[in-house]
Amino acid sequence: MKKNKTMIICFLAPAVILFLLVFLYPIVRTILMSFFKIDGVTDSMDKWTFLGLGNYIELANTSLFKTSMLNLLKIWLFGGIIVMSLGLLFAVIITSGIRFKSFFRAVIYLPNVVSAVALAVMWLQAVYSPQFGLLKTFFNALGLKNLAKIQWLDSDHKFWALLIAYCFGMIGYHMLIFTSGIERIGTEYYEAATIDGASKPKQFVYITFPLLKGVLRTNLTMWSISSVGFFVWSQLFSNVTADNSTITPMVYMYIQMFGAGNTVTERNAGLAAAIGVLLCICVVIIFTILNRLLRDDDIEF
Amino acid sequence: MRKRVLSVALSLTMVAGVFAGTALSASAEGKITYWSMWESTEPQGQAIQEAVDAYSAETGVEVDLQFKGRTGIREGLQAALDAGTEIDLFDEDIDRVNKTWGDYLLDLEEMAAAADYESTAISGLISACREVGGGTLKSIPYQPNVFAFFYNKAIFEEAGVEAVPTTWDEFLDTCQKIQDAGYTPITCDDAYITCMFGYHLGRLIGEEGVTRVVENGEWAEEPAVLQMAQAYEELATKGYFSEMIEGNVWPAGQNTELALGTAAMYLNGSWLPNEVKEMAGDDFQWGCFNYPAVEGGVTGTEAANYGAQVYAINKDSKNPQAAFDLICYITKGEYDQKLSEMSIGIPADTTNGEWPALLADVKPVMDSLSTRFSWAVNCEANANITPVLKENMLKLCGGSITAQEFVDNMEAAS
Amino acid sequence: MKKKKRAKTPVNWKKELRLAPGYLILLLWVALTVVLLGWVLMASFSTTKDIFNGNVNKFVFPTGLHFENYAKAWSSQNVSRFFANSLFYSVISCAALVLICAPAAYVLARFTFLGNKLIQTGFVSAMGVPVIMIILPLFVLISKMGILNNEMANRFTMIVLYVGINVPYTTIFLLTFFQNISRAFEEAAAIDGCPPMKTFWVIMLPMAQPGIITVTIFNFINVWNEYFLSLILANSDRLKPVAVGLYGMINSMKYTGDWAGMFAAVIIVFLPTFLLYIFLSEKIIAGVTGGGVKG
Repeated sequence: MKKNKTMIICFLAPAVILFLLVFLYPIVRTILMSFFKIDGVTDSMDKWTFLGLGNYIELANTSLFKTSMLNLLKIWLFGGIIVMSLGLLFAVIITSGIRFKSFFRAVIYLPNVVSAVALAVMWLQAVYSPQFGLLKTFFNALGLKNLAKIQWLDSDHKFWALLIAYCFGMIGYHMLIFTSGIERIGTEYYEAATIDGASKPKQFVYITFPLLKGVLRTNLTMWSISSVGFFVWSQLFSNVTADNSTITPMVYMYIQMFGAGNTVTERNAGLAAAIGVLLCICVVIIFTILNRLLRDDDIEF
Repeated sequence: MRKRVLSVALSLTMVAGVFAGTALSASAEGKITYWSMWESTEPQGQAIQEAVDAYSAETGVEVDLQFKGRTGIREGLQAALDAGTEIDLFDEDIDRVNKTWGDYLLDLEEMAAAADYESTAISGLISACREVGGGTLKSIPYQPNVFAFFYNKAIFEEAGVEAVPTTWDEFLDTCQKIQDAGYTPITCDDAYITCMFGYHLGRLIGEEGVTRVVENGEWAEEPAVLQMAQAYEELATKGYFSEMIEGNVWPAGQNTELALGTAAMYLNGSWLPNEVKEMAGDDFQWGCFNYPAVEGGVTGTEAANYGAQVYAINKDSKNPQAAFDLICYITKGEYDQKLSEMSIGIPADTTNGEWPALLADVKPVMDSLSTRFSWAVNCEANANITPVLKENMLKLCGGSITAQEFVDNMEAAS
Repeated sequence: MKKKKRAKTPVNWKKELRLAPGYLILLLWVALTVVLLGWVLMASFSTTKDIFNGNVNKFVFPTGLHFENYAKAWSSQNVSRFFANSLFYSVISCAALVLICAPAAYVLARFTFLGNKLIQTGFVSAMGVPVIMIILPLFVLISKMGILNNEMANRFTMIVLYVGINVPYTTIFLLTFFQNISRAFEEAAAIDGCPPMKTFWVIMLPMAQPGIITVTIFNFINVWNEYFLSLILANSDRLKPVAVGLYGMINSMKYTGDWAGMFAAVIIVFLPTFLLYIFLSEKIIAGVTGGGVKG
């Protein structure tokens, strides 16, 4: 592999240099900031007050932050199950040789491209509205009066209403990644398997799934990263002031960084930085675990 | 294939066009930069653009007007100021400008005195600016607003309510009449629900009391909290709140209930008629009254949350006089009137006595005020508690929890 | 062109019947999507009142279709300038990202060397840090250096940042696609005397095409919709991309209660990305089914 040294350096250098150029300073600064009390993010260092682990201790003692972490965990876990299973299901169907494949793929992917602002209003107004929402109409039509009466946006149901709305938009994205992974698997595997008489579900278990480990890992990594950054949807489902049921660490961080919606509250960009560091550690842990669990070095085809 | 050539050619022309437009930016001589919280497409932005154009034409001062929007200003302004970006003036909410960005502001007392600015300004707002500016005038208010009950006059008439309620008993009586007439007396949205809490508790123990409760967590210790919760529990059990109040996510309540005429009252800012004008239609008759006085309370209908957007000048500005002249140009006379008309807002210049028709009823309320509350009577001062308060207020108004449970939940969370 | 040929193949009913459950699931989902997104489309032709009194939910248009929502959204701002800017930023950034990240991803996926895992972990952790934490300090640094005074330099800085911000994402995304390619191809190329670098550009890169196209779609949409960076850095209408220009309008329509106009603006932002997606997804099929790039 020695003669590959120049190649490794030539191929890696642009990406790594650009990465360092953009990320090195902000990341080092963020880590430093997390040990200080700072009013504004861009305050110069002479205005920082050293707190040691103070910010982290404060986060550990703040029940709202813990609520937000719990919400994040729920989004990641339940949302992940919904999005990954439906995304994979659609990807497998789409690549199974059906007609109008690109049409189906385009329609399923479509919600991912539409601005979240519009989708959120659509969900709130067209689906969950207690007066004329689709859910109400639907359950009324089925005669399920009790279900029709549910207020989907009250404190008890809002989290799930939000999660479903969010997942609807994300399924297409992950389906697309799965699809491109399956398409990498040559069709002759399936042709051979079909000739051998293997059924579609069997083909999935013995061919598709093992070969998809790598793509599943990419998908789970991307899902984890986008869940950690969960922000816009939370804001759209709880305007101006945050909600207990929809608050995420990112929203909490935003409040710490820029103050609450209407009232000027105490700001601490150091605390915000500490949240950033914690989220980052979560992502790295997940990534490392995924790499252990879903190794695909045994795959050769 | 031809399609591809065409698309490549198309993108190349576009790229060329982008580069052709490149030029060095002009020098800072006789030029001021204004970062605005509005969007160029909303009425305030359009009115301000007109004023700025007229100002430039008249004085020859070039104005670089950047519409950054609410989030743009809130997130980007401080970073830009820290980076030394040349920004001469900017605007935002009175509290944020003076408290969050207080270190960047130029003292305006001298320029205001020289221009005799105060003689035609709303004195309550100017003194509010001085108060939040630490005793000196660092910002100029415009687009004033007041936070009170807005109601549908037609429903009040139909229900036989002759005078607006000024006390809690009258308020209950009003609600009963409206309910008897077949309408929902009160609705609200999640975004504003804490304001009801703030106002009621503020009536009982004043803004300082509210601040003490939320910041020190004296939910169980302060008996007024339970008193407030009991009053709301009564409203809820009598069915005075909308059935949908627990699930109303802004703008559902104001748009589908108040504006469409099924609910009668909504505690909101004077920007409300403008926000719902497309749904309410031209014949909607807006009424306004201040939050009623409560028995044994320390504040009455003389106190309310009123505020404004304010202009401020960067202390590093190279041309502060030109910036101040522009502020006067926008907040006085012709353009203040225009801003008020276009945005259905309250004029800042007291000589502009003509308020937009939709706000005619707000004027007496505004004139009767002598004590200023902060936003939501400062009940959102503790960012760690606000979401809990919001959730429990929604439940209390929806009748899912009792007054005692409200107090217990809040006490447990703090 | 290949597609047309395929469409002409006679319907194999036995095969289609076997796929019926798949069709059923997809059709149900498509129906749901069409209803939900159809609502957005209908709302954009409707009036604010009809959105909130439930008429749009009942597919009723009492006052007809309101095309003026679109006219208003299009004419109230310099939309064509914003579009040109966005296209410029997106096309250049996407091309640069593939050229920079594909080789890096290949090397990281293929070779074991000191620092490989470190670079990967560094990239992943960078994605976990909130964008605000990256952009704001960087912005202060850049503007103190005085780079932003010149429009040309400003534009260049923006593109460097668009690319830089997306480097970790693109590289991590492409890793898997190189990992899954058999080493037999490189071995065969080496026997034929093809140097490793040439092997990458001529053989490996085309083989990773589904991944590259997919990530390019995502990058394009990311850059097209990028809001915060452009908001902070583009201090003139000449530099503003669609996201900043039109999202400002979407926000203002929210504040002024013009919800129908807001939906029209949303459609205007969304259409170009979607058309591009359709165009590119055709290429995925072409890339996979043709060109001898079978795995």
